Amino acid sequence: MLLAVKDLSIVVNDLAQEKTIVDGISFEVKEKTVTALVGGSGSGKTTTGLATLQLLPSGLSIKRGEVIFKNENLATLPQERLRNIRGKDIAMVFQEPLSAFNPLFTIGAQIEEVLMFHTDLNSTKRQARVFEILNLVGIDEAKRIYNQYPHHLSGGLRQRAMIAQALAANRSLMIADEPTSNLDVTLQAKVIDLFRKLKAELNLSILLITHDLGMVEHLADEVVVMKQGKIVEQGTTKNIIQNPQHPYTQKLIEVVKV
Amino acid sequence: MKSKSKEPKPISEFQLALNNFKRNRLAHFCVYLLLALYGMAVFADFLSPYSFENESRQYSYSPPTPIHIIHEGKMTAPFVYGIEFHYDENRKRVFEMDKTQKFPIQLFQTGDEYKLFGVIPCRYHFFGVPEPGRMYLMGADSRGRDLFSRILYGARVSLSIGLIGVLISFSIGLLVGGIAGYYGGGIDNILMRICEMFMLVPGFYLLLALRAAVPDDFNSVQVYFAIVIILSFIGWASLARIIRGMCLSLREREYVLAAKAIGLSDLAIILKHILPHTLSYSIFAVMLSIPGYILGESALSLIGLGIQDPYASWGNLLSDAMSIVRIKFAPWILWPAFFIFLTVICFNIIGDALRDSLDPMLKKAA
Repeated sequence: MLLAVKDLSIVVNDLAQEKTIVDGISFEVKEKTVTALVGGSGSGKTTTGLATLQLLPSGLSIKRGEVIFKNENLATLPQERLRNIRGKDIAMVFQEPLSAFNPLFTIGAQIEEVLMFHTDLNSTKRQARVFEILNLVGIDEAKRIYNQYPHHLSGGLRQRAMIAQALAANRSLMIADEPTSNLDVTLQAKVIDLFRKLKAELNLSILLITHDLGMVEHLADEVVVMKQGKIVEQGTTKNIIQNPQHPYTQKLIEVVKV
Repeated sequence: MKSKSKEPKPISEFQLALNNFKRNRLAHFCVYLLLALYGMAVFADFLSPYSFENESRQYSYSPPTPIHIIHEGKMTAPFVYGIEFHYDENRKRVFEMDKTQKFPIQLFQTGDEYKLFGVIPCRYHFFGVPEPGRMYLMGADSRGRDLFSRILYGARVSLSIGLIGVLISFSIGLLVGGIAGYYGGGIDNILMRICEMFMLVPGFYLLLALRAAVPDDFNSVQVYFAIVIILSFIGWASLARIIRGMCLSLREREYVLAAKAIGLSDLAIILKHILPHTLSYSIFAVMLSIPGYILGESALSLIGLGIQDPYASWGNLLSDAMSIVRIKFAPWILWPAFFIFLTVICFNIIGDALRDSLDPMLKKAA
């Protein structure tokens, strides 16, 4: 088991009254599989993703539960150890790469930053590695992109660059938070293809956070359906798509079919 | 999308601002003026005809020496006449030109020995007159030292104190502001209350109080550094507050979260992903606050608490001009004030121009 979330509860703790955002959820991400966390807005799926990396925004905290990654409970690990895991063992792909990249630095510099922190490569090797990864995510003109600032790239290229950053030092788990929701349909298809390729070639596990069941159908091996902080249904993609039990899942699937 | 031929080279924010800045002619001119002033400070010992200690007391308060090019009706190379004086009925020295003595102004005149850049021993001065002639471009002070030379030497202290002071106080201010803004909560509270303690006391009194805490037996170098540290002690607090405010909003940006997600430490995030975004503010804040340090040093030296005679700084040169009587019969001792004025106004104009060129909202209006 790569990642196991056990009985995780997340609360807002700066209100007068505690409000539960994620309520006792448990799920697993197996090695070399894509697990999709599906749900509507406000279902707590992004919060769960952030909690996995212990990056909850201030005001939110884990009330109980465990996040077990490779036999370590991330919820109780010291910061230093956590920093080593972030970016190296678990990487995150954000929804909006334009705001997730720092506008002051070039794409190349920001991908290299990951390598600088997590590897001992010297600067020429780092650069070669960045080119290699950019090629891997399907960017042909790696040399040109390397020196570009985030706002110079098109949305599709930016998302690929973001994925490249997540892959730079990490080859085990990638958390992708709605990686395609800002892309148009053709680009969505390309990114989905890319994820499949990466999963096959790199033996990568992906925790896919999305509301798009179409994408789930194409990509995910297992599905976890969330509603209002609770898991309503989970199982293999085939089972869930073809034979949804919970009315909420049924509704989600209907929406896609229309 | 495949056409690679005419792709414009990516322009960084910095270059954009620089292009904007260059359009401001006045500020551009001020940059060169400042560079000239700093150049003068660096090469002070070469450019000045005399060393800062070279005194000849009989020429006390000698007026600026006129430079002539016509001698007995004929054009010659620039030269100065000898200086003579007699006492008038009030026992006051009256200086006159002695037209029988003529000293040509020569380039690379040998004079007082000094060490170029502090290492290479050298006797050549850029210009000067041979002994026993004396040349006072901007007049002489009470002990017959050349005011022009002393202004050049004084520039070293006065101009460098601004830079070093600003460097120290901005490093502290940025770091404290960055930490307070990034962490927020209790750390923020404590750091900001400390800042307020510094801002609470009026600057000049704090300056005096801190100066009083410095031991009396410091030599001039130690006094110099004491003053730098004192001045930067006063300046950092207001900057820290502003930076903290900016960081409070910057830390919520997604790229900060992304930086955390790749495992960067808090300090690395503050230094690399948060503080650079405050740069456009801090650059012109630096420019606009340098005059404060120069004036602070001048004020301390003026009241005799700064750089001590025989070492020169613009402030301590001006302390000679504290009495109205002296200004009346030797008005040239106000020259250092002119240099302070020039430097301060240059920094202010450049700072203003930087603010205009770094602010993207103003950019469109222009």
